[in-house]
Amino acid sequence: MTALASCAGATKRFGDFTAVGDVHLAVRPGEIVGLLGANGAGKTTLIRMLLGLTATSAGRVELFGEPPSRQTRSRLGYVPQGLGLYDDMTPVENMQFSAAVFGSGTAASLPEGIGEYATELVGSLPLGVQRRVAFAQALAHRPDLLILDEPTSGVDPLGRARLWETIADAADGGAGVLVTTHYMEEAQECGRLVIMADGRVVAEGTAAQIVGSGQVVLVQAESWSAAFGALEGAGLQVALAGRSLRVPGADPAVVRLALGDMPATVRQVPATLEERFFELSSQRQQA
Amino acid sequence: MREPETGPAGTNWGATELYVSHGRTVALRGVSLAAPAGQVTAVVGGDGAGKTTLLRCLAGSLGPDSGTVRRPPKERSGYFPASSGIYEDLTVAENLDFRANGYGLPRKAGRDRAAEFLERAGLSGVAGRLAGHLSGGMRQKLAVIAAMLHRPDLLVLDEPTTGVDPVSRSGLWWLIARAAAEGCAVVLATTYLDEAERCTSVLVLDGGVALASGTPDQIVSAMPGALRAVPAKPAGDEAALSWRRAGRWRLWDPAGLADSAEHAAGRPPAGSANGAIVPDLQDAVTVAALARQSGVLTGGAA
Amino acid sequence: MWAMIVKEFRQLRRDRRTLAMMIVLPVLLLVVLGYAASFDVKTVMVAVAGPQSGLAAGLLKAPSFDITQSAPGRGRAWAQDQLRDSHDEMAVVTGGTRPLVLIDGSQLFAARAALTDLAGVRYHVGFTGTRPSSVSPKVVILYNPGLTTSDIMIPGLCGVVLVFVGTIITSLGVVRERQSGTLEQLAVMPLRPRDVFLGKIVPYFLVATVDLAIVLAVGIAIFGVPFRGSPATFALGALLFLFVTLGIGVLISSVSQNQGQAIQLAMMTLLPQVLLSGLIFPLTSIAAGVRWIAYFLPLTYFNEISRGVMLRAEPIAALWQPFVFLAVLGAVVVTGATLRFRGYLAPAGHRRGGGTAAPVPQEAGI
Repeated sequence: MTALASCAGATKRFGDFTAVGDVHLAVRPGEIVGLLGANGAGKTTLIRMLLGLTATSAGRVELFGEPPSRQTRSRLGYVPQGLGLYDDMTPVENMQFSAAVFGSGTAASLPEGIGEYATELVGSLPLGVQRRVAFAQALAHRPDLLILDEPTSGVDPLGRARLWETIADAADGGAGVLVTTHYMEEAQECGRLVIMADGRVVAEGTAAQIVGSGQVVLVQAESWSAAFGALEGAGLQVALAGRSLRVPGADPAVVRLALGDMPATVRQVPATLEERFFELSSQRQQA
Repeated sequence: MREPETGPAGTNWGATELYVSHGRTVALRGVSLAAPAGQVTAVVGGDGAGKTTLLRCLAGSLGPDSGTVRRPPKERSGYFPASSGIYEDLTVAENLDFRANGYGLPRKAGRDRAAEFLERAGLSGVAGRLAGHLSGGMRQKLAVIAAMLHRPDLLVLDEPTTGVDPVSRSGLWWLIARAAAEGCAVVLATTYLDEAERCTSVLVLDGGVALASGTPDQIVSAMPGALRAVPAKPAGDEAALSWRRAGRWRLWDPAGLADSAEHAAGRPPAGSANGAIVPDLQDAVTVAALARQSGVLTGGAA
Repeated sequence: MWAMIVKEFRQLRRDRRTLAMMIVLPVLLLVVLGYAASFDVKTVMVAVAGPQSGLAAGLLKAPSFDITQSAPGRGRAWAQDQLRDSHDEMAVVTGGTRPLVLIDGSQLFAARAALTDLAGVRYHVGFTGTRPSSVSPKVVILYNPGLTTSDIMIPGLCGVVLVFVGTIITSLGVVRERQSGTLEQLAVMPLRPRDVFLGKIVPYFLVATVDLAIVLAVGIAIFGVPFRGSPATFALGALLFLFVTLGIGVLISSVSQNQGQAIQLAMMTLLPQVLLSGLIFPLTSIAAGVRWIAYFLPLTYFNEISRGVMLRAEPIAALWQPFVFLAVLGAVVVTGATLRFRGYLAPAGHRRGGGTAAPVPQEAGI
């Protein structure tokens, strides 16, 4: 199966600074690939390279088997972070414009439930509705590859689920999807994850594979704020979770020692994807 | 402009039965929130749910049509508005100076505290950089520092972590935890459920109405009905009560009996052969939204 | 490409401010260029004094001349005051060996017209006594003897600088707060609305003052523009005018969502003032049907003050009209601006039933 989008050793340098370094990536039909990374990790630059907006400094980037070009654009559906809709036009007008540009004949009809908003200006619509319009617009010309930059940011959980149904439907229909997200719970929706830090890929696989057997120390103390202070004082990285504290990358014995006589339970629990992600990103920074 | 009276430490800040409407739109309908000192309270909901309106009432920049707000006077409150409230054409240090000055902090104390927070949040190298040139995550961290610089009794943060990558988010959470540890009552609006799970109590808003409130565990155990895994998207009426998660479909049965004892113990109910799912906070919140949307009235929320 | 055209039209249709500018501006220019833009002064206003006032008045015929005042019992001093206080543009003083014609050089175009028209006046015999004589008048051009343009432009420029800083830059400064969302943060800080309002205005006030000082210094030192009148009067006039323009700037910012809109609106208030206030085209040559607009423009009045004080040493008493107008307008504009500003900083809906209550004492522990 040829990849819809692929990067082989893709690199981009701006002077001395390497924004993207030696990235290998492939999106195949029917796949949903999640791209995770801190801001500045190179996700945006990589996407720009895939879209053909930025040239590579080294390595190869291919869309549908050839370097990105204006022709390949018409097989691509892209929803940027800012949605790419005109606030001062109605959804219908936006879709007409898009249809005319992509040459897909008459504009596809608006998705169900948006009908009542058809004649209002996009700028005055709730965010969830705007996102659905942006999706509909990107899908209208039946693209083979979807690139979505933080497609569900700011939407409520039910709305996110509905948006993901649309994404999954597109993938089921044979399209390949590349998604960036900051929602850890959405990482579960992706068939495969690619984690970037500092321009490089630091982990790849399913969420379960990436978390592996990582563990953190869970501290449950009577007075969490005292425990917080004690652990910080010992130089440990502490995160608050409800009334418990989680200490990644530490030995339970060390934690117990730092707490001294404080009444608290200390045990190891599995790490979350987010904690593993954090670990990978900071390791890369220290490297 | 009336200022509310201060109360002793540990006072119960919050709001009761707020009604707010903007023109013909009702932004909040009978919403109450408790914000105890030393705790982080989350307000969860999507765009348009009313989170910003609620937080603006708590911060004092908006007056409700009816209901009461219990908040400290301006100089004892800190606010991170939806737009961050940071001047992009001032440097990091200048922004914090302005804030310290505006709240009457003595110069040296303000500077020392700012330096400590900047360092712990990983911003000490950029003190001289224009705020507009910071990345999104760093700017949010700066805004939170600016809001808590004067040690407020109540800290109101409107989506400080939205759009911020998980690495910066952990830095932000350190600041939030520190504020709570100092005895501050923190109210945080968020769209991330994993963050809500880390808070002591959660209020779920949808369309201006409170769908659920309580600790995360309480919200889950109070979820009405039961959840079942189904092989494919159901047809007909059931389609509206189902959603897809991690590649599989789940269906909410409003009348289904949730075996609450098993629930609480975290074990799947005896009938797990028929695909019963143990719900988590994300499920409970989704169900609450579905219940409201489909008009299925259940007793429900705590 | 067609799709782009359609899209741009749709967006334009909804952008009311740009549409207004595209329609209003050409109409304004048309009106101005058609009716207002003229350097021709058709009628010169004249005061006559001295024993032969009647004879002199008879010689100066309409429509070139309009005898507005005749004072047979008065002399040169009175005639000069009429010019100084801008009651007339030319004065004739009779009673000496030659009649004396005083022309106000600070009314540049009227002065030129007067000179031209005077050449066409035929002087009869017999002013005094029995001997026939043909006596041409002695012509003295006061206040701007060289009839230089810079002498009248620089005082006008003072006004333009103040309008610029006051209106355009202030509207940008305040709108910036709204646009960046920091206005809400100011609302919840323990700052009084007055502090915020004044704190935002004062820097622009100072900038405008410095600008004005520079224009004056350069004008006087390099262009040789005179400053004959009372600095105190000038300063007071500038102060009042600045209040008006700063207030207008804040008002513009209160109805603008972003800096682009603010600039558009500010331009629409600047352009009429530059064209119709007498800065470039003399007021008297603007057709009456359009001239009434000038009397609503603040710059018109400040121009009178600045030219009067700098060139003619006009006393404040004679300038009471512009001063009063500016004072009243200033009060109205600043009040309006303050009220609108306060509306942003005080929480809305405060009076409507909602309130704050003292916190309820809670049992220890949660």
